[in-house]
Amino acid sequence: MVESDEKTAIPQTLIEPIDMSRLDPKFRDEIRSMPDGDELTACFACSTCTAACPIANQWDYKPHQLVRMILLGMRNEVLSSREIWECLTCFQCQERCPQKVRVTDIFFDCKNLAAEGGKIPEKVALLAKELIEKGQLYVVTADWEREDLGLQASVPGLSVDYVRTALKDTRAGRIAGGGK
Amino acid sequence: MSDPVLVIGGGVAGMTAAVELADSGISTVLVERGASLGGNALDLYKAFPTDDCFYCFEGNRWKPGIRKCFYRSTMLDQPGVDLRTGSTVESITGTAGRFEAKIRSDPMYVDPRKCIMCGICLERSKAFSLVSPQCQPQAVIYNPRAKDAGSDKAETDCPTRAINLHAEEKSEVVRVSDVVVTTGYREMRPVAVDEYGYGKIADVITQLEMAKIMDPNGPSQGALVRPSDGAPAKRVIMVQCVGSRDEKFNPYCSKICCVFALKHANIAVTERNCTDVTVVYMDIRTYDRHERYYRDARNAGVDFVRGRVQRVSPTPGGGVTVIVYDSLLNRYLSFVVDLLVLSSALEPSEGASKIMESLSLKSASGFVAPLNPASENEVVVGDHIYACGTALGPAELPESVTQARAVVSKILQSRR
Amino acid sequence: MPTYNLYMGCSVPANYPNYEAAMLKVAEALGMELNYMEGVACCGSPNLRAIDYYGWLLVNARTLAIAEQNHHDIVTPCNGCFGSLKDVLYHLKHHKEDMERINASLKKDGLQLTGRVRVRHIVEAMYTDVGIDEIRKKITKPLDGVGISIHFGCHLLRPVDVTEFKPEILQQMVEVTGAKVVDYPLWKQCCGATVLPVNEPLAIRLARDKIKSMKEAGAQFATVVCPACGNQLDLQQLGLKQSYNETYDLPVLLYPQILGLAMGMSRDAMGLGMNRVAADSILDHLKG
Repeated sequence: MVESDEKTAIPQTLIEPIDMSRLDPKFRDEIRSMPDGDELTACFACSTCTAACPIANQWDYKPHQLVRMILLGMRNEVLSSREIWECLTCFQCQERCPQKVRVTDIFFDCKNLAAEGGKIPEKVALLAKELIEKGQLYVVTADWEREDLGLQASVPGLSVDYVRTALKDTRAGRIAGGGK
Repeated sequence: MSDPVLVIGGGVAGMTAAVELADSGISTVLVERGASLGGNALDLYKAFPTDDCFYCFEGNRWKPGIRKCFYRSTMLDQPGVDLRTGSTVESITGTAGRFEAKIRSDPMYVDPRKCIMCGICLERSKAFSLVSPQCQPQAVIYNPRAKDAGSDKAETDCPTRAINLHAEEKSEVVRVSDVVVTTGYREMRPVAVDEYGYGKIADVITQLEMAKIMDPNGPSQGALVRPSDGAPAKRVIMVQCVGSRDEKFNPYCSKICCVFALKHANIAVTERNCTDVTVVYMDIRTYDRHERYYRDARNAGVDFVRGRVQRVSPTPGGGVTVIVYDSLLNRYLSFVVDLLVLSSALEPSEGASKIMESLSLKSASGFVAPLNPASENEVVVGDHIYACGTALGPAELPESVTQARAVVSKILQSRR
Repeated sequence: MPTYNLYMGCSVPANYPNYEAAMLKVAEALGMELNYMEGVACCGSPNLRAIDYYGWLLVNARTLAIAEQNHHDIVTPCNGCFGSLKDVLYHLKHHKEDMERINASLKKDGLQLTGRVRVRHIVEAMYTDVGIDEIRKKITKPLDGVGISIHFGCHLLRPVDVTEFKPEILQQMVEVTGAKVVDYPLWKQCCGATVLPVNEPLAIRLARDKIKSMKEAGAQFATVVCPACGNQLDLQQLGLKQSYNETYDLPVLLYPQILGLAMGMSRDAMGLGMNRVAADSILDHLKG
């Protein structure tokens, strides 16, 4: 956690509070300005998202806690967490939220920000590479299986060019280029 | 002679308005679609803030002879109140001060003025029943769809000839000077909030359903039992804010359900021998002097879990298993209980929207809204049109009564 | 004859060609014309959305724009593609600035997106456009009431305002084949596919919990409408012997396989041999 090491009038005790002045108050606005982040501040911490989540029991920071951390401005902790990447994107939290906070969408935004800062799980970064190199995540290899079924060996109409070129210019390209 | 005032809805607010207008010399026509007056408060057993039963909140509370052991009904005898039960207002036309209300009434199979509650017809035929021992008017009702072999005999055997099985529907147009909308509220049936299994799992009920079970006049004489098999319910979980404070259903807070949920929790523990009562909440909103229900509940051993439900499954053999996320402990908890009680949202009554439309009334989340919010005349909703009680939004009983008296005051002023 | 833009994505053709074949044969028998879209490839899956939102918008917007050139609905057999296309369409329709930005880019290829294209899952298109009654007429070998559990998949069901899919659709489509739908408590839960690259044990656990729940509810087969869900429940099921020392023997059928068999199509035409957990036992349940 963010510790206070500034010279303040507060005496040193075991409490070790989070120094609020070290947090990033603009983080919540940053998320709010991103796709589907606008209802973020409607959160009243009811924890329905955490109740709905199938895997939150595995997380140190639960979904409602992550939202709280965003609201407080704990940018580093949120963007370096393993939790946001383990989100199943199953939308159960978003579906049940009584304040229409688009929790899953907000986690997607966090992942985008984390990726922008170069913090991506290795295997996910590899997916970006796949897309740039091959234009698709899965390439047909067992074409005889397709032929046995009466299908064409290669998928009709398939064209990977656009995906490969378009993503070169966006963040996926930067990630795949090894740039961190 | 000026025209009477029309009061639509015979719950606490409607009865208070009607009786107090009548006592002030203004006649009223009190229209109630049910067979009995009383509305939602009729069979709730204890009502807050005094924990008395409904009867004490009737508009004619201070009148002599209201005790239910008397067979005569005070509302029928109240001078100045033209009581129409089993009736609805089909349409209202005309102008302010000169409305024409078309009132349709169910066939009067049993004349409440003649019924002496002797019970002979109840013995003869299952088509006759008593809505509640506390019903007003004090009379039995007849259900034509349940007519059986004994019904005709019941008619002939009635000592006061109160029964007429050939009665017919009536329709009448009444001219009224003012309209008072007291259509009340209804509790949402939270079927659409499907994570709780209401409507699919028998032992998942709402708070008002629980109140009715605990009412000594109810089907189990007040014993708290499981709907699935009638076994005693000893372990109860309540969930607050079901369908309230929820942008998908009703964004507003239903105000009084924290209070009555805790009222029920206290009854369950202190009077009905429940061993485990847990309340799952987002916020406890026992506002004002009702904070004592919260303190009393904690003292009585009610558990409070700040969190939400993960999953509800029926337990084989009866009852439900509920998994709850406890946001303070940061752990998931699993409960095996007999009853899951949902504090479901309080919404405007069915049919209120039709009345509001015909009178061009403003709506606030479906409830009747004041004509001019800035004027602080909460009860004035139109020209010569008033509303009071829960038709305006969830409210405590004393609030409804106070609002009804405000309506009476405005009408009196308008007639000076 | 209703005509559709068929968007296959990349997973079905590569990993589940039997799903593709079964779908094409069934669609043909139902009188639906599915035309493979030209010039499209991958949707990126939720993982592209996670790392490169704008890139994800672009890639999927282009697919949508290509479909708009000929006024036919897009149908897809994959929940991931369905979710991506639906999500992108929903987002662009609600965010003018992004729509304009995307269109500025698409213009270079002579494409424009207006947002009027409809994206549908192939199962919903069959249900809505052909209809249960018509489908029932074509059933010549109904199933004998065998219990089948449905795994819908998260991106088919949620978010509701985006996907607009009603579970009853797939339930009725399974029932029309003569099978009995077996409900199970975890029917809404995720199969874990998205998290496979990030946390494999977690994904395997989720897959196992689903299969266990289905089996405990009495299902003899499971059905899916997505290759990723298929991979989780079908391929991963084989690995459960190692990771959990559990064997479930719950064959996972791609929905059109069930419908095709009930319509009298052959085991080989449906590619039943390619299902990882041996699925031939479904043939024993066909009547007539």
